Amino acid sequence: MTPEPTPEPTLQPTPEPAAERSAPIRDVKVRKRRSRAIGANVFRTGIAVACAFSILAVGAGWWQVLEAQNLSTAPDNPAVVALARRALRGPIEDRNGQWLARSARDKNGEATREYRDDTISHVVGYSSRKYGTSGLERTYNAQLLGLAGADPLGDLTAKFRDRPDRRLGLHLSLDLRLQRAAVRGLGSDKGAVVMLDPATGEILALASTPVYDAAAIADPATATATFERLQADGGRPLLPRATLGRYVPGSVFKIVTGIAGLDTGAILPSTTFPEQPPAEAKGLLVNGFRIKDGHHPQTGATALDMTGATEVSCNIWYALAGLQTGGTRLVSEAAKLGFGDAIPFDLPTAISRVTSGDGPAPGGFTDDAELASASFGQGETFVTPLQMALVASTVANDGVLMKPHVVTALTGDGPGARTIAPETWRRVMSEDDARALQAAMQRAVEGRLGRQFTAGAKVPGVPTAGKSGTAELGGKGEPHSWFIGFAPVENPKVAIAVLVERGGRGGERAAPLAGSLMARYFDLYGKP
Amino acid sequence: MSAVAQARPLAGFRIRPRPRTTELGLLAIVAVTLVVGAASLGATQQLREATEAGVTLKALDFTPPDPQGLLVYLGALLAVHVAFVLAGRRTDQVLLPTAAMLGGIGLLLMQRLPQDLVTQSFGGTQLGLGQLQLAWLLVALTVVATLAIAVRSDAWLRTYKYTWAAAGIGLLLLVFVFGSESNGARLSLSIGPVSGQPSELLKVILVVFLAGYLSENRALLAEESTRIGPITLPPLPYLAPMVAMWAIALGIVVVQKDLGAALLFFAVFLGLLYIATGRPSYVVGGLILFVAGAFVLYNLFGHVHARVDNWLNPWADPQGAGFQVVQALYAFGRGGVLGVGLGAGLPLIGGHLPVPAVHTDYPLAAIGEELGLIGLLAVLGLYLVLVSRGLRIASAGHDEFRSLLAAGLALVIGVQAFIIAAGNLKLIPLTGITLPFISYGGSSLLANALVVGLLLALSDRGAEPPPAPRDRRRRFRGFRLGKVRA
Repeated sequence: MTPEPTPEPTLQPTPEPAAERSAPIRDVKVRKRRSRAIGANVFRTGIAVACAFSILAVGAGWWQVLEAQNLSTAPDNPAVVALARRALRGPIEDRNGQWLARSARDKNGEATREYRDDTISHVVGYSSRKYGTSGLERTYNAQLLGLAGADPLGDLTAKFRDRPDRRLGLHLSLDLRLQRAAVRGLGSDKGAVVMLDPATGEILALASTPVYDAAAIADPATATATFERLQADGGRPLLPRATLGRYVPGSVFKIVTGIAGLDTGAILPSTTFPEQPPAEAKGLLVNGFRIKDGHHPQTGATALDMTGATEVSCNIWYALAGLQTGGTRLVSEAAKLGFGDAIPFDLPTAISRVTSGDGPAPGGFTDDAELASASFGQGETFVTPLQMALVASTVANDGVLMKPHVVTALTGDGPGARTIAPETWRRVMSEDDARALQAAMQRAVEGRLGRQFTAGAKVPGVPTAGKSGTAELGGKGEPHSWFIGFAPVENPKVAIAVLVERGGRGGERAAPLAGSLMARYFDLYGKP
Repeated sequence: MSAVAQARPLAGFRIRPRPRTTELGLLAIVAVTLVVGAASLGATQQLREATEAGVTLKALDFTPPDPQGLLVYLGALLAVHVAFVLAGRRTDQVLLPTAAMLGGIGLLLMQRLPQDLVTQSFGGTQLGLGQLQLAWLLVALTVVATLAIAVRSDAWLRTYKYTWAAAGIGLLLLVFVFGSESNGARLSLSIGPVSGQPSELLKVILVVFLAGYLSENRALLAEESTRIGPITLPPLPYLAPMVAMWAIALGIVVVQKDLGAALLFFAVFLGLLYIATGRPSYVVGGLILFVAGAFVLYNLFGHVHARVDNWLNPWADPQGAGFQVVQALYAFGRGGVLGVGLGAGLPLIGGHLPVPAVHTDYPLAAIGEELGLIGLLAVLGLYLVLVSRGLRIASAGHDEFRSLLAAGLALVIGVQAFIIAAGNLKLIPLTGITLPFISYGGSSLLANALVVGLLLALSDRGAEPPPAPRDRRRRFRGFRLGKVRA
């Protein structure tokens, strides 16, 4: 062996590390420092491993304590599915206490679910062993099953057991009579009706057609055949059009443009555009795109203000108002009404949009031509009927947008039972601006010229406000027929949005239906 | 063989029994825990069946699902303990009970799962999941006992480190060429009826090689630097094998699609590099390389991309790609703090387990559900005990090779448990590696038995001293490829 310049202490057969440190060998310093360093490195590595494991502990705590409630009540959690098979679900009833959904046991002791009729299917949804849940049955699955309120610390014996004492029911603001009237009114057409109380945001009717038979999906004997037939149906009966359907709005969007213009100060109710009357004959040229109007014979050379433009549904006036407001402000004002994000609601909602948002112009518009078209509802704008009902409701409620909700109470004795009070979402515009729009919308229904566009929307004996819409879809075929409105004009009780797919002109199909539904409301609840 | 080793060839073969009271006491705790667990499991399973059938049980029956199997396991543990006592070596007394506890939990889990999840026939006898796991556990205990009693010298490991490395690379190449693919990863190698996952064995070989290489070149790596302008770098020639390791880890991902093994190898490599040199800059540099590699892999390879996306949002496709991840999280959520009870969890979906890979990739989900957060933390704690014992052995090591070897073996267990646990808990993307000692599988159990056996052998305070270090001056001659002269 070659002699080492520095003797290695580890060469010595030393059984204990302590003895190694005390070994009186010269020149050991360098070597010993290294030797100790490896020990220190090992120690620090151990600390690092311990830290890594404490991250695991935090992660486990996150899922098993903080998120445990959410995970354990998820509708597709197999334990929840298994419980749903055994356990009865809480009842669902309308605002007058009429039952809408209730549970019973079949002869094998398994839970079955009954639904009152098919007009409520898009609101209440279904609860099926095979196809899971939808609608309110899905949103409130945990509460209906009595799973909500379980604490992560306990329930050693009762976890995922059927706990009837914890089961909650749902009390809805929906009125079954209005709901049935709305579905009947839509008839064989595809469409949607949303009726709500503007002062509280409580949904009175939320109809989508075609409807489907939720009871047949809930019944294991007919579930598969029913569900497969519904899925294959080109009319898409499983789509809740009121909340998840997105449509070109047409002229009902002018109310959004009006709100945006008034609230940003870009326009006043008295604003007139000198270039409007001369453009009526041949149309207004914006960026090479010609905006046309159909009311030239009635208004002639009159420069319209906001009320006049709303009464005759003047595309050119609203295009100019939109251009004056600007894309950025139009989009941001619309966002205050709920555009651009899913509306917080008891049911899933689709996102309404003013523009696709990927254009170079301010607000994400492609150019001024798109902004001008969007201002009267014919751009790249897509809206849900629920969103348009909220627009009408905001105007009706003097500029204050209430949070829409259909569940007004969780009933029963279990934890989490409570009433859900009306909640202000936000103030969108000032009271004065709202009143100006109310007046304009009343003229659109009751004015001499307005009546010609919104025939039938007027509720006899009740001052009515509204705006019709005819959403041109290009190509052949009928346009979508729209109406949004409210009544009475002073202290409104009901706001409404009606959409009929391919229903023709707004004034021909949607407006009379809205009028009759509001009339039905006043029949039931009394005229003011 | 080194001169020192030859000097006392028979040193260890005297039989001088030495009592091991700590080990016996801890094993007793393990036995009681497992028996109580098995009894509770048996009662729960019968209650569950009765409830599903709508029958009311008159009395609870505490018969475990496989009482003979459990007895055989406990008997084998006792036998290993007696063998240790008779051998009379002064080895660590905590490692065996800790590993035995984890193995026992794994055995209970396998007995609790549907037995037809994995079956294998041996001459007409059909063995189910629990029996197969028991068989592998017995083989693993034999390996532990053999290594812990018989290995007295480490010369066979340190002298032939390049041979071991070559064997490891050879093994890898075999898998590349002959390996069979499952779940999009090329992991297993079949020889006749027996198939194994070589990457499990490879991790032990990797630690042996790294311990050998680093202990030899440690001083250089720790103290010398290459200066390029203002940047101070480690001595570049000595880093070459390190960079090669990094490249091999990447290669494993690219060719084998085995993300878990690559992550494990690289993490253990960085850990050992730090322990050997004490230079945090290596770790930082390694992490930068890791991030760069991960970024490139993410953008180049579809399966990596899919894994990461599925990790970020499994709820995007809860019935498809994200099914298992989501179901595992549901399992953790159902468990809560105290758990639903052994045998009471894992509700079936249409007659199938909610988490299909619960016996291999997701045993922690079952533990988290049935034993709750408390049980999960206890299991994680057991791994920390293993790591801390291993690192203690490393600190007390006679020389650098032994220290690095022990530390590397401890890190292998700790890092592997961390990677799969973090994957289960959705802290990192899921990678298909096993949970040491608990997951089903012979390769995994055998490789971890090698680790525990070697750690036990290294912990012997009465072991012979390491062989003389080789001539330090030779380090200036560059790389040696051939066998080293004594």
